[in-house]
Amino acid sequence: MKKLCVVLLALSLAVPAITWAEGKAANSKEFVVYLDKNAKDNHYIPSGWIGDYGDIKMIDQSAENPHTGTTSIQFVYSAKKSQGQGWAGVYWQNPASNWGGKKGGFDLTGMTKLTFWARGAKGGEVLQKVIVGMSNKDKTYPDTASVEMGPLELTSTWKQYTVNLAGKDLSYINGGFGWTTTADLNPEGATFYIDDIKFEADPDLKPEGKKQEAMPFYIYVDRSTAGNHFIPSGYMGDFGDIKYNGASKEDAYLGDTCIKIIYSGKAAQGARWAGIFWQNPANNWGSVDAGFDLSLATKLTFWARGAVGGERIEEFKVGGIMGEFSDSDSATIGPVLLNKEWTQYTIDLRGKDMSYIIGGFAWSTNVDNNPEGATFYLDEIKFEK
Amino acid sequence: MLKKYHLLAFLLICTVTTGISCTSSPRIFIKQLKNKHYQLMVNGRPYIVKGICYNPIPIGASYDYNWWSDPNKPWIADGKLMKEMGVNTVRLYQVHEDAQAVKQVISDLYKLYGIRTFLGDWLGFWEYPCPFYGDKKFQDKVMRQVTAMVSLYKDEPGVLGWILGNENNYSCLGHVNPWSSPEVDLEPDPQKQKAMRAKIYYSFVNEISKQIHKIDPNHPVGLGNGELVGLEFASKFCQDVDFVACIIYRGKTFGNFFKSLRMTFDKPLLLSEFGADCYDAYLKKEDQNMQAFFLQSQWNQIYENLANNKIGAGNCIGGAIFEWTDEWWKHNPDNPEGWKIQDTESSWSNGSYYYDIRADGNKNMNEEWFGVVALGAQLENGMNKRIPRKAYYVIRDFWKNPAIKKTHKKK
Repeated sequence: MKKLCVVLLALSLAVPAITWAEGKAANSKEFVVYLDKNAKDNHYIPSGWIGDYGDIKMIDQSAENPHTGTTSIQFVYSAKKSQGQGWAGVYWQNPASNWGGKKGGFDLTGMTKLTFWARGAKGGEVLQKVIVGMSNKDKTYPDTASVEMGPLELTSTWKQYTVNLAGKDLSYINGGFGWTTTADLNPEGATFYIDDIKFEADPDLKPEGKKQEAMPFYIYVDRSTAGNHFIPSGYMGDFGDIKYNGASKEDAYLGDTCIKIIYSGKAAQGARWAGIFWQNPANNWGSVDAGFDLSLATKLTFWARGAVGGERIEEFKVGGIMGEFSDSDSATIGPVLLNKEWTQYTIDLRGKDMSYIIGGFAWSTNVDNNPEGATFYLDEIKFEK
Repeated sequence: MLKKYHLLAFLLICTVTTGISCTSSPRIFIKQLKNKHYQLMVNGRPYIVKGICYNPIPIGASYDYNWWSDPNKPWIADGKLMKEMGVNTVRLYQVHEDAQAVKQVISDLYKLYGIRTFLGDWLGFWEYPCPFYGDKKFQDKVMRQVTAMVSLYKDEPGVLGWILGNENNYSCLGHVNPWSSPEVDLEPDPQKQKAMRAKIYYSFVNEISKQIHKIDPNHPVGLGNGELVGLEFASKFCQDVDFVACIIYRGKTFGNFFKSLRMTFDKPLLLSEFGADCYDAYLKKEDQNMQAFFLQSQWNQIYENLANNKIGAGNCIGGAIFEWTDEWWKHNPDNPEGWKIQDTESSWSNGSYYYDIRADGNKNMNEEWFGVVALGAQLENGMNKRIPRKAYYVIRDFWKNPAIKKTHKKK
């Protein structure tokens, strides 16, 4: 009898726990991702380290000036590109390290926003974006939504940020929260703190439509600028032939830095050509619904120069990524023989449908026209009215 | 006397006012409506091209197989199946040199099943070492070949029109079969070289089109073109074609294609080659659902953009699916042993066919699996058995009841 009581007691404790793990948060006004180390209301674990995970150090009980309670989470991003990616990030998951292969998400129907507090150690640190929900449609238990916001330039004091989730299907969210950043945005690395992450139910919040981006809309201004959009992540062809430096100080056209690209022409992968696509988000070849509405743009302009002059770029391009979520249009110029002096180039977008653009910019070249390789520079890449 | 006079007057009126009913073959033309939309007219009635690309190469044979003279007449059985599906047009890329055999095919398809034919010519695109479009002798040779084709077949009642070239425009960019000329070689700027080649090529096609119109005023002439590439030059140098016949592989949607064409080169559009393969290169198995899903979505967009549909650009006159039957020789044309097996190795990558894009090297397109009808190894009436795939039935049903869906659901 005593034994039976123990079993019943254990069951009575276990069943609610199981129900909660798969359960609904619909009746609550808030649902906590993280409050404090070991807070009983925490529901997700910061276990999904992505990109250059070797560049990240996490102290999950930093007592250094938390926003509330006794701790916040400190992240130190070194920007050393330990895994050669140029970017890194962390996802909060349930259970730990669950990318969608296990059932562990929560039904957050009724929640309309996610809020969190963040500050930089110095101020000026840039998060490329924060994310709610994972893009993992190919997994057994995929998240029902994935919403991004960013880039965010942090201040040295605590500031609250809000991700609008109104109208989103939150019936199964396994990636409760995530952030990513890049070495380009933080060439010297970044130390920042995050606290009090939670979903909230705000019935007055309206769904956010896809907003038409204002012009000019920059792809590259300068290194570590929050105004930069799209990530130079789509390496194509002989990707081993490409060295990309987004913080070159060799005679930038404007500002501190420009982009320097060295194409070796060694045909490392045997393709005999190579190129880079600037994508949103990184590595999106059309599988993630994340295009910018650039309908107001009538042209894309950029400045370019060759190290010696005469380098031949086969194509500069806007759009043209084809996938489940394809770019709404594409436009190209080329082939272009670069001058040794900075020269401005324009891709005409009049008459093009720029309402949904994942691939903001791209270049490609080949070994046949650059047998010795090519070194060239790009700066001030932007969409304009 | 009076009676005779009346008859003469009637014949005159007939000829002057319609130019249709008194000629030996019906006048087929594309008219622009008041709302600027385009409509293909056949026998005075609107005609939507519900087409299929046709090249019935049997298992074990290669591209040079002379199916036109096949004693089993594959087009007879195929035409019957096509008619049951709702196909009203076949696209033939190049006619055979045996004119009688060609006429027989066109005639049988039309008389037995009411299926009309677009006849094409490669315009020397595959000539070794490359198509010298800047060379007068080469141009003359191609011109003679095309005008001979038009003269031979223009009076065949089953002919619907002419399509000049396929993706020949890519040669102007140097992507496929690159060519040059002494004049182009003198230009150091590669962008200007491209523009010069495009001018030469499209001007030449324009000349062919003018010649065809002189010989045959009764059928429209189409410019075959890969995607929209180069059409800004066609707009300047190739205004005498009647329509653009575009080859396009963009997965479930043609995107902004129809509107872009309006902006670039405002001509009627035939989607002369599009489709989807039915082999999942990631899971390594046939996936008929995948093919059916893409084809239905593509036809949905074609219908959205036909004349008098408020949703679309109104410039589409129809399309031709690539293709009727699988072709087992395509993966390795040089290996006769390979023609006897249906190869599953993918040869190129296209992210817009996203179901199997995670295949090795992202190569997901299987050239030997594009048929809406599969070929069986067993023979039926002397031919490989025809086995309609799911896409055959899905498109048949769509054509019967083309309810345009605004949302594209997953397979």
